[in-house]
Amino acid sequence: MSDYTVVGKPLPRVDAREKVTGAAGYTADVRLPGMLRGKILRSPWPHARILNVDTSRAERLKGVHAVVTGRDTAGLRVAFVDTPRYPADEPPLALDRVRYIGDEIAAVAAVDAETAEEALRLIRVDHEELPAVFTAPDALTPGAPLVHEADYPGKTIWEDWGARGRPQSEPVPRQDNVAARTYVEFGDLGGGFAGAHHVREDRFEVAPVAHAPLEPHAAVAFWDQGGKLNMHVSSMGIFYKRFVLSKALGLPPSHVRIHKSYVGGAFGGKIDVFPYEIAAALLSRKAGRPVLIELSREESLTTTRMDFQATVRVKTGVSREGIIAAQDIQVVVDTGAYRGTGPVVIFLCYSYNIPVYRVPALRYEGLAVYTNNPVKGPKRGHGAPFIRFAVDSHMDMLAEDLGIDMVELMRRNARSQGEVMPTSGDVLRSCGLKDAIEAAARDGGWGAKRRQSHWTGSERFKRGVGLSACSMFSGSPYYPFASAAVLKLADDGGATLFAGTVEMGQGSETTLSQIAAEELGVPLSDIRIVSGDTELTPIEFGSFLSGGAFVTGKAVRLAAEDARRQLLEMAARLLEADVRDLEARDKVVSVKGAAHRRLSYGAIIAASVKQASGDPIIGKGYHKSVPDAGLHPSLSTAKGRWTEAYGFAAQLAEVEVDTWTGRVRVLRVVTYHDCGFPLNPQIVEGQIEGCVSMALGQTLQERVDLREGQVFNPDFLNYRIPITHDTPAMVSGMIHSQEPHGPFGAKEVGEGAVSGVMAAVANAVYDAAGVRITSLPIMPARVLAALDAARARGGRQEGR
Amino acid sequence: MKELVQLSVNGQTHDLVVRPERTLLDVLREDLGLTGSKRGCDLGACGACAVLLDGRPVSSCLTLAVEASGHEIVTVEGLARGGGLHPVQEAFVEHGAVQCGFCTPGMLITVTALLDERPEPTEAEILEALSGNLCRCTGYVKVLDAVRTAIRRMRQPGLPGSVAPEVRA
Repeated sequence: MSDYTVVGKPLPRVDAREKVTGAAGYTADVRLPGMLRGKILRSPWPHARILNVDTSRAERLKGVHAVVTGRDTAGLRVAFVDTPRYPADEPPLALDRVRYIGDEIAAVAAVDAETAEEALRLIRVDHEELPAVFTAPDALTPGAPLVHEADYPGKTIWEDWGARGRPQSEPVPRQDNVAARTYVEFGDLGGGFAGAHHVREDRFEVAPVAHAPLEPHAAVAFWDQGGKLNMHVSSMGIFYKRFVLSKALGLPPSHVRIHKSYVGGAFGGKIDVFPYEIAAALLSRKAGRPVLIELSREESLTTTRMDFQATVRVKTGVSREGIIAAQDIQVVVDTGAYRGTGPVVIFLCYSYNIPVYRVPALRYEGLAVYTNNPVKGPKRGHGAPFIRFAVDSHMDMLAEDLGIDMVELMRRNARSQGEVMPTSGDVLRSCGLKDAIEAAARDGGWGAKRRQSHWTGSERFKRGVGLSACSMFSGSPYYPFASAAVLKLADDGGATLFAGTVEMGQGSETTLSQIAAEELGVPLSDIRIVSGDTELTPIEFGSFLSGGAFVTGKAVRLAAEDARRQLLEMAARLLEADVRDLEARDKVVSVKGAAHRRLSYGAIIAASVKQASGDPIIGKGYHKSVPDAGLHPSLSTAKGRWTEAYGFAAQLAEVEVDTWTGRVRVLRVVTYHDCGFPLNPQIVEGQIEGCVSMALGQTLQERVDLREGQVFNPDFLNYRIPITHDTPAMVSGMIHSQEPHGPFGAKEVGEGAVSGVMAAVANAVYDAAGVRITSLPIMPARVLAALDAARARGGRQEGR
Repeated sequence: MKELVQLSVNGQTHDLVVRPERTLLDVLREDLGLTGSKRGCDLGACGACAVLLDGRPVSSCLTLAVEASGHEIVTVEGLARGGGLHPVQEAFVEHGAVQCGFCTPGMLITVTALLDERPEPTEAEILEALSGNLCRCTGYVKVLDAVRTAIRRMRQPGLPGSVAPEVRA
């Protein structure tokens, strides 16, 4: 590791200068001649039948160039999950129904935003309101109104990649509101519970939270003369967006180009293809002019997905020593009016939980339930935050029942390197989980502070510490399955890296450039990166499922290796030496032990052009998240390979509970993240700190206030994300576990550390004040109610 | 009905005819092409659109263009002078206080205004000044580190990245 000169160093970001000068271009900053502004007409009803949409008055308004409705979409349905089992269910513009407040009905393009808004008011919608359902338990009640009366199998996007489709393409009547189910069972469950020394069962609830990236969603669409759709989008994976947009618009994928835009934060909320993006493309085609749709903050917070409302039930049987014998987990999520990523999140709750503790016998059931609420989607951690909140709160309770220290209980059950995951067969080739737990406990002062709630000497303010752990994929098989990279050397020995990555704050342009520079033997300043454009770069897996560094990073390393090999082969010819005797560094190739026999990269490249049939040197590299996997492992059974490497983290929170007001102040969060090898420690720290901040918001204050399908806090005054005053001391440490399949040993870092904070804080609150909060967020009223109940019963108390 | 306004932005004067309800943010972004100031919430709650108005930070989404007429405006595009970055910009780059970059222009404006008024702010003053600038990426730790470094640099001209006060004016 110490031999590296570029990777492993806290080098400044390559995109920072553009961003501090205001030069960085985001989607809403795009300016094109003749560009129109688009606006969307949305449903004010949670559930209604659409009888007729009359747009004639809007079309006649001066300044309006195009109006589109469901009639312009040819019965189209799209969705993030579009498999034979779970076919796409969301029309980009309403066909015959709207299913939540905010559902898209029509779109308008006009010369300016004010005119477009005026046009929306002129559209008349004849409708008939329908009974609606707003909670998962209500939706599961027999006889509840059906959010979808049928599934529309059609042809799914997976069939293009060899998945077997359903024989019928007619609508399939639905019997219930279950949008998806994941079921996993292994081991001797009955025997495990029967033989256990102790069994306990707990129930946890999590409120829906918003991604709230600072950049509201936006899209620009324009068509060129050849009938190609060009777009700028707020995106996390441009090749996925291109694929779905091409399907939605009936174009070959090569007839859709996504152009580069910087993305102002995404956190999972910008991977889906959204109706407003399809509307922008339709409006632009109809108007014959570029169209920009910039969603308002309210639209961004209510109609572009949010995290799931979830209920988790955990039952565990343990031996006298605290070893888990059997576990039964049920997760029920409200997925909203369309499936969104409901089928994925209930699967991921299983998959992100299973690598943490060894479980010999398990039953897991996940249910995603349709309601007439806004649609849910992936948010940083995608299920990991709530499953880890539930399981590690429950572990803390088990530790107390058994009289075993939580660190010891975690250590006894934690998985380690070499273990094979049940159902998937994924192997933990690197696993620094136990090291992370021990490091977090040590740095957090666990030994001195645990169970010492009176150390402040105050009757009012109590302090405590709590722990949790988590795991996360490093990429997974999902379209576009693989990443490729190209490294083109320039005359002076510098190089241009072509990679499809989207820079959305995670630092991918920097870490990928570092990988290329290290492998090529040049300084970081000699690498130029071209990214975020489907036309200019080879295909890329996408910066989601935490595969950026692991999958794309490996492709970049292989591309640089390829270029370096060609460079050395050319140098060997020129220097009349064996390739094995050469060394390359600082843009010079020299013969080992004969330093005078040397050539600059520039001279070698010039020779390559002159002598080797004019070839410049171009390196290519490819990588898949799981090289030996089929295309489509099962979301409903969890069978099939999922990932080649898991990241791990352990987190400790120290809190102070004000027993008079119920307010919880987080004083310190210690995170130890096993990211394999930190390619850029400063960026890794930034990712961890960002995860912790977001997680603290979810733990203490954030909640989308949803009542009867209406969001009551769709703005930054009423949906309050953490601010400077909420920032605790953070210790962000890294466990180096050297992942054998990762570039320089690297794996996931962007998501994992968002998942342990909730349980760590909840456990710390219990440690401090003796009250157990099992519903997020841990707001003062909940803490006070639990404290009152505890006083009334005279002791430590489990509350809601 | 439209009104004539004269906006002095980053040292350059613009005579514009605008509708009275248009915000300064709209005019900067749409009419002057200065897209460095970001539209984050349109409610004065996130700080992404902050600009200096006669040296004081304001939310340009809450300021009408007609109100800004005749006043000196500085946007993020006006912070760097003479080819070099402002010390606050340099500190943000150096500390990795820039991630997605969307809140960055507003943060830089806020910090610049703070340090112009109070060259040696207390920790509480730093937290308070930035409490109206939302960031979802960094967790604020690196932003606060960058501010502390900028303070040190600006106090000690001669250190790398520092700019003498008279040059900055």
